[in-house]
Amino acid sequence: MAVKYQKAIAIEKEQAVVDGMDISGHWNRMFEQRVIFEYTPELIEKVASISEAESFANCYQCAKCVAVCPVDVVGNYGPRKLYRYAQTGLDLTEAPELWLCTTCANCLRVCPKEVNMVKIMPATREQAILDGKFVPSELQQAFEATANTGNPLGQPQRKREAWVQNAGVDVPVLRDLGRPVDVLWYVGSYPSYHPRGMDAASAAARIFTALGIDFAILGKEEKDDADSQRLAGEKGLFEMMAEYNIETFNKYEWNEMVVTGPHELNAFKNVYPKYGFERPVVHYTTFLARHLDRLKPLLKHPVNKKITYHDPCYLGRHNGEYEAPRQLLEAIPGVELVEMARNRQNGYCCGGGGGGMWMDSFTAKHTTMRLSEKRAMEAASTGADVLAVACPFEVSRFEDAVKSTGNEHVGVLDILELLDKSMRGE
Amino acid sequence: MTSNKILVIGGGPAGLEAARSVAELGGDVVLIEKRARLGGTPDRENYAKLTHHWRDASEAMGELAASVTNNPNVEVKYQAEVKGLSGSAGSFTVQIETGGAAESLEVGAVIVATGFQHFDPGRATQYYNYYSFPDVITLTDLEKMLKEHKVVRPSNGEAPEKVAFIQCVGSRDRQIGNEYCSKVCCGIASKQAIEIKEQLPGAKVFIFYIDMRMYGYWENEIYWPAQEKYKVNYVKGVVSEVLPKNGKLLMRGEDTTMSRPMEVTMDLIVLSVGMEPSAGTRSIAQLLDIRQNKYGFVEAGGESGLDPVATSRPGIFVAGAASGPADLDDSISRAGLAAARAVALVRKELA
Repeated sequence: MAVKYQKAIAIEKEQAVVDGMDISGHWNRMFEQRVIFEYTPELIEKVASISEAESFANCYQCAKCVAVCPVDVVGNYGPRKLYRYAQTGLDLTEAPELWLCTTCANCLRVCPKEVNMVKIMPATREQAILDGKFVPSELQQAFEATANTGNPLGQPQRKREAWVQNAGVDVPVLRDLGRPVDVLWYVGSYPSYHPRGMDAASAAARIFTALGIDFAILGKEEKDDADSQRLAGEKGLFEMMAEYNIETFNKYEWNEMVVTGPHELNAFKNVYPKYGFERPVVHYTTFLARHLDRLKPLLKHPVNKKITYHDPCYLGRHNGEYEAPRQLLEAIPGVELVEMARNRQNGYCCGGGGGGMWMDSFTAKHTTMRLSEKRAMEAASTGADVLAVACPFEVSRFEDAVKSTGNEHVGVLDILELLDKSMRGE
Repeated sequence: MTSNKILVIGGGPAGLEAARSVAELGGDVVLIEKRARLGGTPDRENYAKLTHHWRDASEAMGELAASVTNNPNVEVKYQAEVKGLSGSAGSFTVQIETGGAAESLEVGAVIVATGFQHFDPGRATQYYNYYSFPDVITLTDLEKMLKEHKVVRPSNGEAPEKVAFIQCVGSRDRQIGNEYCSKVCCGIASKQAIEIKEQLPGAKVFIFYIDMRMYGYWENEIYWPAQEKYKVNYVKGVVSEVLPKNGKLLMRGEDTTMSRPMEVTMDLIVLSVGMEPSAGTRSIAQLLDIRQNKYGFVEAGGESGLDPVATSRPGIFVAGAASGPADLDDSISRAGLAAARAVALVRKELA
């Protein structure tokens, strides 16, 4: 028997005054308890029968996931709830709940049954897309932009290396170089196109140059890694992009790839190997921390700031890098590093992962505030002047969030920008 | 007169293990059993499979019984009952009636292994209607069906599509008088749920519980496979009413993790009845003048609290579910300990 999943019926008293306080209308909204007339194990099975989503059926309702779910902190969510919703009538493949998970992996970290939302969500989303079910329109746009222009921002491919003109240093492009390089620097879409991302890209170019790194970029040949599109359910698009990227990477001779973004790190290090690409890839924080002895003398100018660092989910939990970013920040003279209560393995998600980057309006309808706003408030509560980040998704997200939460006094800067400031004294 | 004989009362798993252990330690055993067969409750109640290696219960009990009947140090008396006991540790005189014939026996020690009986669901305070609705059955009724590979709705003989287990029937209940956890029902219900899915793969099987008590390896050997492999649905919240509805059973309760009322229909409802002291345990305790706890089980633990086979009377030991809810591991290991204690006692008395 098919059961329609329905929201609670709201009951409102038109006129209500309690203890002299007028709580008429929606202020007194109550929800009727809906009776469960039928359990629907087949809807658990519907998800669990999708390849990669099997572990969905394994939840035994301990609820450890809920407390650490960043979406639940600003809403009503969590893997264990999804299991019960499915058991009581929710078809996850056509529910809004399918699109709220950021694949931050904090639930998986604590799950005794290894229910893996990082696999369940992409697989179930893919099924929903294949079945023509609801997909948030803004996400659809990001998919289309990626397919049409090679990046989710919908920017033209020919402008991908335009930022180098403002870098202040020579940024070699492999196509023009005509020789092998030591480091292939994969810049990424947001550092290539987003104004604040470009600031970080320019800073990186100056740092690499000052360190004497033999590096080059792909320039106009570079396209989006598409890992977040994969996590948002567009595996086909991801595979198309991966095929192109791998072919491009293999065109040139290089020893090591450095990426600006954690999502790209995850793509090239953990997922592209399944498609035949197995080369050394490191995030810039790891790479620079390795050169710390030579970097330190270059950091001449104090940055007298109290700084708190936000662990990106895909650098920290997904790839285990917690210390390199902190080592870099601590190497800057004048910096006082303070930690937010949620840090490292328990870092709070900015909301940008798993396609969340392109679903802010959709997510806002289902949460009380944005995840980035929650995190910006946590950063502000440390008394920090600067929220330091290491993921190109985050600068724009947090700059909006510090403003919308009234914390404009907290600056949002990529670690690259902070290193560059110390190097150049601005 | 000091005797090296040890009397074991009861031929269930604990009694059999106690007799076997005494014999293996070189002692002489008289095992008396009220029924004409050995094997105790697993045999009498037609258990299908044990949780141990999913073994066939008759086969496993048969092996245990054979190890006793084949041992020259053991004398088994069937259809026998204890009628009286006098003396003290090392030299008891026991009056026994075997098939109507009375006899007197000199023994050095006694091991009580008179077991438990399943809770009578008619006594439940909830309206489960066990005696009114044929499709409301108990764990033991279901064991028999599983053994015969004939899991059906007794009302019409058809295979059920939806089966619900209701946990803690007769256990953990002050009003009923059984405040204790019966310890095995969560595991047994889950084991049976798996067996239903093996025999009726299309059935939807639910377990409604207060909290699942899957001790030790039951967690990974029974509970997890039940959910992960056999797709048994666990719902936290116990049903407190069963009503008839269009030839099916309407269960009413609350789904606690959803905070929602629940009114679902089932084809077959299985009451997970707990353990109570058997009639034999109650009467033998009085006859032997050993203390019972407030629930009627033989009080065990000794002065130290660390002697789980000691009763209030020296020379009389208790094994198995006669002293409280026990699974087979508990019963058998306590039986071995009781055997060791009894043999040690008679040897000391004889020395």
